[in-house]
Amino acid sequence: MIDLGTLAVGEELPPLSREGTLQHWNRFAGANDEFADHHMDDEVGRHEGFSGAFMMAPLEHAYYHVLLREWFGDNGRIVDVDMRLRSPLLRGRTFIAGASVKSIEREGDEVIVHLDLWANDDEGTRIAPGSATVALPAQ
Amino acid sequence: MTVAEIETLISDEMRAVVGKVMTTMTSYPISASDIRRWASAVYYPEVPPKLYWDEDYASKTPFGGIVAPEEFNPFAIMTKDPRPTKRVMRRTDFELILGIQPPPTRAILQSEVRVHYSGVRMCPGDIIRSIERIGEYSEREGKMGLQLYTTVSNEYINQRDEQVKVLQTMFVRY
Repeated sequence: MIDLGTLAVGEELPPLSREGTLQHWNRFAGANDEFADHHMDDEVGRHEGFSGAFMMAPLEHAYYHVLLREWFGDNGRIVDVDMRLRSPLLRGRTFIAGASVKSIEREGDEVIVHLDLWANDDEGTRIAPGSATVALPAQ
Repeated sequence: MTVAEIETLISDEMRAVVGKVMTTMTSYPISASDIRRWASAVYYPEVPPKLYWDEDYASKTPFGGIVAPEEFNPFAIMTKDPRPTKRVMRRTDFELILGIQPPPTRAILQSEVRVHYSGVRMCPGDIIRSIERIGEYSEREGKMGLQLYTTVSNEYINQRDEQVKVLQTMFVRY
């Protein structure tokens, strides 16, 4: 559980890391019925101007949700998640996401936390910056 | 005329359909298995939190039972309405769905995804309706020439008429 007494602007969330493999992506393809060839076939990815197959955007968005929930556990809730797609996560690279607390405010019996999000690959390529808001029960 | 010679990709008939309902869908009742499959995929290779698969654990949380992860898609495999059909139309031919001519572009990419959650969670047994609209068109010059940005807004509502979330996806066409 997050200690709201010590939570401060600038605090970094523990990063989330996921390998960019077909093992990961095809599981999501099955759950989301998302079988576009450019997520499974390097040749198709190259035909579209990339160096290989690349991860689906909804999975990147879902990984941001996982990052936030891993931080606050079962007692908070996600309010907003915005993600801007800058570069695709290519097959063979690793998706690494993190967040930092931008502002904190009290609203009724909840603490509203605004966060900056970032996601890079393991070579430092900027994948998908964004922002999020979560609501935590005031203790 | 090539895309490079076009001054605007937004026609009058495109402006006229902004805000109009493009598609509606109704899900089958969400099953606990649907939720487990989704959670297993997005948490792989980790074990998902018990809230998504352990009824004994989930019943002792403030939710009172299993809930779906916020981003869960209840329309993924088949929908109750519309009935499944052979897929012949690209998902991104928005204007064709509305019965008008799409702009003469050659490529489409997602550029931004935004979601707002109301706080109402999706649970096993829920039936979700979605109402999808074109929320906005805009355009600007980019590396690939004139680029058209289309925001598609998708509202999820449960069987109690409670809003669950609003998902906005921005696509860029050029």
